[in-house]
Amino acid sequence: MKPTALVRRTTARTLLAAGLMSSLALATGCTKSEDDSGSKPSASKQDDAGQVVASPGTASGPTCTIDAYGGQKTDLRTATVGFSQSEKEANPFRIAETASIRAEAKAEGVKLLTANAQSQFSKQISDVQDLIAKGADLLVIAPLNSDGWEPVLRTAAARHIPIVTIDRKINATACKDYVSFIGSDFVEQGKRAADRMIEATGGKGEVAVLLGAAGNNVTTERTKGFEDRIKEKAPGLRIVFRQTGEFAREKGQSVTENLIQSKPGITGIYAENDEMGLGAVNALKGAGKKPGDVKIVTIDGTRNAVQGIVDGWISAVIESNPRFGPLAFRTLDTFTKGEKVGQDIVIKDSAYDKGNAQTDLGKAY
Amino acid sequence: MTELTLGRGTPDRARLLRLLQDYGVYTGVLVLLLFNFAFTPHFVSAENFRTQAVQVAPVLIVALGMALAIGTEGVDLSVGSVMALATSLLSLYLGYGPWTAALVAVLAGAVVGVANGALIAFVGVQPIVATLALMVAGRGLALVLLPQLKDVHDPDLAALGSGAVLGVPYLALIAALLAVLTAFVVRRTTFGRQALAIGDSRPAARLAGLPVRRVLVLVYVCSGALAAIAGVLATARLAASDPTSLGSLMELSAITAVVVGGTPLSGGRVRVGGTVAGATLIQLLTTTLIKHDLPPSWTQIAQAVVIVLAVYAARERGRR
Repeated sequence: MKPTALVRRTTARTLLAAGLMSSLALATGCTKSEDDSGSKPSASKQDDAGQVVASPGTASGPTCTIDAYGGQKTDLRTATVGFSQSEKEANPFRIAETASIRAEAKAEGVKLLTANAQSQFSKQISDVQDLIAKGADLLVIAPLNSDGWEPVLRTAAARHIPIVTIDRKINATACKDYVSFIGSDFVEQGKRAADRMIEATGGKGEVAVLLGAAGNNVTTERTKGFEDRIKEKAPGLRIVFRQTGEFAREKGQSVTENLIQSKPGITGIYAENDEMGLGAVNALKGAGKKPGDVKIVTIDGTRNAVQGIVDGWISAVIESNPRFGPLAFRTLDTFTKGEKVGQDIVIKDSAYDKGNAQTDLGKAY
Repeated sequence: MTELTLGRGTPDRARLLRLLQDYGVYTGVLVLLLFNFAFTPHFVSAENFRTQAVQVAPVLIVALGMALAIGTEGVDLSVGSVMALATSLLSLYLGYGPWTAALVAVLAGAVVGVANGALIAFVGVQPIVATLALMVAGRGLALVLLPQLKDVHDPDLAALGSGAVLGVPYLALIAALLAVLTAFVVRRTTFGRQALAIGDSRPAARLAGLPVRRVLVLVYVCSGALAAIAGVLATARLAASDPTSLGSLMELSAITAVVVGGTPLSGGRVRVGGTVAGATLIQLLTTTLIKHDLPPSWTQIAQAVVIVLAVYAARERGRR
């Protein structure tokens, strides 16, 4: 009756072997997904919306020159640029950001070294040090954190390597520790979303806010901009609901399902990113609502959300522009030539609504 | 060993405590329901109950597998990653039809279960460490297979996610079916009895001649397969495969449901009804706070209070 130890071992081996074999079978290329025809355009094929600087780089605000920073004038075309990405290229924003840097380096004929920190800050620090060791003359960094950059900044300063940070700021002195920061104004994004919400609802009714992840500056700034503008411009529009959807579609969907049941008269939903907005669309569909019954305004500008406008579910999408390539390289070029560049450069975010969603769908990332 | 052996003929106070331990979670659900009936507008509607049932289904299914693992004095931390892996594979194999794809996904969950079980039963790694390894590896593999969110347009899957029969959503039906099945396995089958015996005392089970290793592997296979089913259902509901966020922190929700439901972490006992009630309690708690628009941090605090209460009620049971 009792299996002997030998038999048990054999069973174990068979089980393990079977497990391994099947995992290998899964991992090998016999996959076949829904749309293998390859209808999805790759990032390189996208219309590059290019970039316009919202705050003119040199006209206003503090500026920086190479003399003030230290170092020598060089020609960007002969230099090596190192790019350190913070997060895995697992979401449309990061994919579009890295693709934009790569595309611009190729267009300018600049030698580019890249690294990805996979959301680990210690890895990003060693990534940047590696980039410097491999001979990067200029650095473009998408920082994961704002703090903890001293070791890198010291190494870079010793070699007079100009640094441009994109999408997040680092806590250091501009024009001393780094040259410029290029990014979006999240408060402004919230305000513009509020304007669109007022427009869509006529300034009356009850609005719900799907907040981003707690304790994130993007969440607090997008909330502040939205609430301030609503208070100031549309006293008739009341914010009656604020719950986090943690920037994820699934959470946005389940929160919205509860929302539309407890407050059936809701007029509008402001989602602080596209994914939560798309979750809200799912929830509205599930509840038997029709496109346009509840006005949705979101921020980011991903392809799926802009498609949502075309389909009539979403009223407007405020873009958070990930295409830092052209602006980053233009800033570095101007700087290395010895001219003035701005210390804080705000990238221009466009917007999508019923009027341009169809035509500009290709620009969405 | 199981909830069938209720204490009888004990003094009144001890009996009361015993009743609280056994029925506390049901009382909790009832109290929350009554509170919502009284104070939450639009709570009493078929549509609302459907929503709650659909939202609780994935957590519940994962918690059933978790209850089995905890019953053997183990734990399965890899469930959230298995959900992510299932959603990736579902999306990648959807070209062969939804059922094949779902089968592949569930198979992958079972394979992760085999790996977990083999590490625990044959190599002798602690369950928490072994499943932690698979938790990290599983999420990584899911992201390698499908690096970012992908929409699912399959009509059959969409029907599975949002359809209903006689007003009861498919998701709720499947979860109920799996709960009944798990209860049957735990109470009425040799496998269930053996698993609980192992949870009670592994050396004793071995000395008694039970096939300890085989049962342990099978328990983790069940847990993996159930997590994969939950992953498939969650994907169908979302109409998208999102391996970056699907199932994140699911292991903690599942453990909470099991513990609140009165299954002791020391093994040897599985309360399936309690697990269902535990998952429902957490779902109702979250819903109540959302519907009354209280800050999200309150949900976490409320969950913590419920867990502490559950552990307090269970402390007598721990001292055997």
